[in-house]
Amino acid sequence: MPIEDYKKYFDALELSSDAQLSEVRNSYLHLKSLYSNDSIVTSAIAYELSEEKRHEILEQVEEAYAKLADFFTNKDADTAVSEKPSFVVDEELKQYMSGMQSFSGKMLKEIREKLGVNLKDMAVFTKIRKQYFEDIENERFSALPAEVYLRGYIMEYARYLSLDPEKVANDYIERYRTAR
Amino acid sequence: MNNGAHDKKCEIWAIGGGKGGTGKSFVTSSIGTHLASKGNKVVLIDADLGGANLHTLLGVSKPRNSLTDFFEKKASLNDIIVNCGMPDIGLVSGTLSSLDSENIKYAQKLKLFRQIKAIDTDYILIDLGAGSHNNTIDTFLLADKMIVVTLPEITALENMYHFIKNVFFRKLKIILSAHGLKDMIQDVWKNRDVHGIKHLKDVVEHLMGTSAHVRDIIENELASFKIYIILNQVRSGREVMIGSSVKSVCLKFLGFDAQYAGHIEYDESVLRCINKRLPFMLTHPFSHVAKEIIKLTENLKDGRQITVTADKYANRRL
Repeated sequence: MPIEDYKKYFDALELSSDAQLSEVRNSYLHLKSLYSNDSIVTSAIAYELSEEKRHEILEQVEEAYAKLADFFTNKDADTAVSEKPSFVVDEELKQYMSGMQSFSGKMLKEIREKLGVNLKDMAVFTKIRKQYFEDIENERFSALPAEVYLRGYIMEYARYLSLDPEKVANDYIERYRTAR
Repeated sequence: MNNGAHDKKCEIWAIGGGKGGTGKSFVTSSIGTHLASKGNKVVLIDADLGGANLHTLLGVSKPRNSLTDFFEKKASLNDIIVNCGMPDIGLVSGTLSSLDSENIKYAQKLKLFRQIKAIDTDYILIDLGAGSHNNTIDTFLLADKMIVVTLPEITALENMYHFIKNVFFRKLKIILSAHGLKDMIQDVWKNRDVHGIKHLKDVVEHLMGTSAHVRDIIENELASFKIYIILNQVRSGREVMIGSSVKSVCLKFLGFDAQYAGHIEYDESVLRCINKRLPFMLTHPFSHVAKEIIKLTENLKDGRQITVTADKYANRRL
């Protein structure tokens, strides 16, 4: 279903078509409780609110939420595919990388820049905050999270650049432990 | 008097809401004070002819001129704008000495509206009285932004719904009259049992079904009709949500757009301040109330609205 067809569902939840999933969820919960229960907001205008009408609205709200939940599931899948990194590892870079003994933050940054990858895209794709990647590259060890989390972040970073995640993470964590 | 065209567009905001004591005058004077502090020229008009007290909120004990001069002595509106101690804020006081406010002649009303539109300033804020009298509603409809102030109380909400419904119907009536369909709404309403009409939305739907011409007129009107909601004297996070709920009811049951411009928390110092005739925005610039007023004023300026979510507010203490 094209996005225009979802507009009526966003409308039913009183949202604009660029609303996020969290807004959809919040609005759904709010409207459901508003029209399922009596409150001063609805009692004050009870003469305009027939039971059928109320029921009809609740159904619309339920339907809209179900459709939009699907919409967001599909959307996430689509963007994940379209945003997959594509870059060419040329001979020069291959040589540069083969000369490496142990990965440091500075080296990771150099490789990334040579590949023409920016941190913002990487953060969107991996769903890891850009700040963490910056701290990893600059080896701001005190700002980095606990080791278990850090390890995960570095592996994601390496995977994105098609490097060996295990090797990169092991090298980096060793530097991290020594420094701390 | 300056009847001429000015380069800068002046915006008229009207503040109404049906019930008395919801804080319309406080909100009007506070919004005005904030707009003026941002370098705008502001004229406040007290259109609550039966119970004017905007001057008191601005610290003026006895305004030199008032609308009495306009109605009885034929003074021009520009000549009765009084200074109220704050630069860039002018006040047209509504204190009337003898005139019966309900009996303002039609011609006088039109003259007043004409002269309001001709005031050379950046913002005109009109503070309306309680009730849904036609004079009140027509003044409300004069505005570029129609704002209602209500409270998280059932009586205030009742009166507010009644007020905005009347505003909407009055507007429809005026628009249809302008298209030569003067008595259409009254006729439909008179025969509501025949048409199976129970609710306001039914009337609109029935009218739209009569012809493509009428449908176009009404759809056009619905697209531009917008009410801005301010919820005053909020005492808990849960009550903040009432503004969102009212907006939803307007959309789903009354069939027109409403925007939740903002909320103002309950604060006893507001009343203390008013009793001392001090302008709250200047004496309490760092209070929550002042910050909320600044926020809602900016929202009104940009036509933005706030989105509040249950999980964020439900258990929050103000």
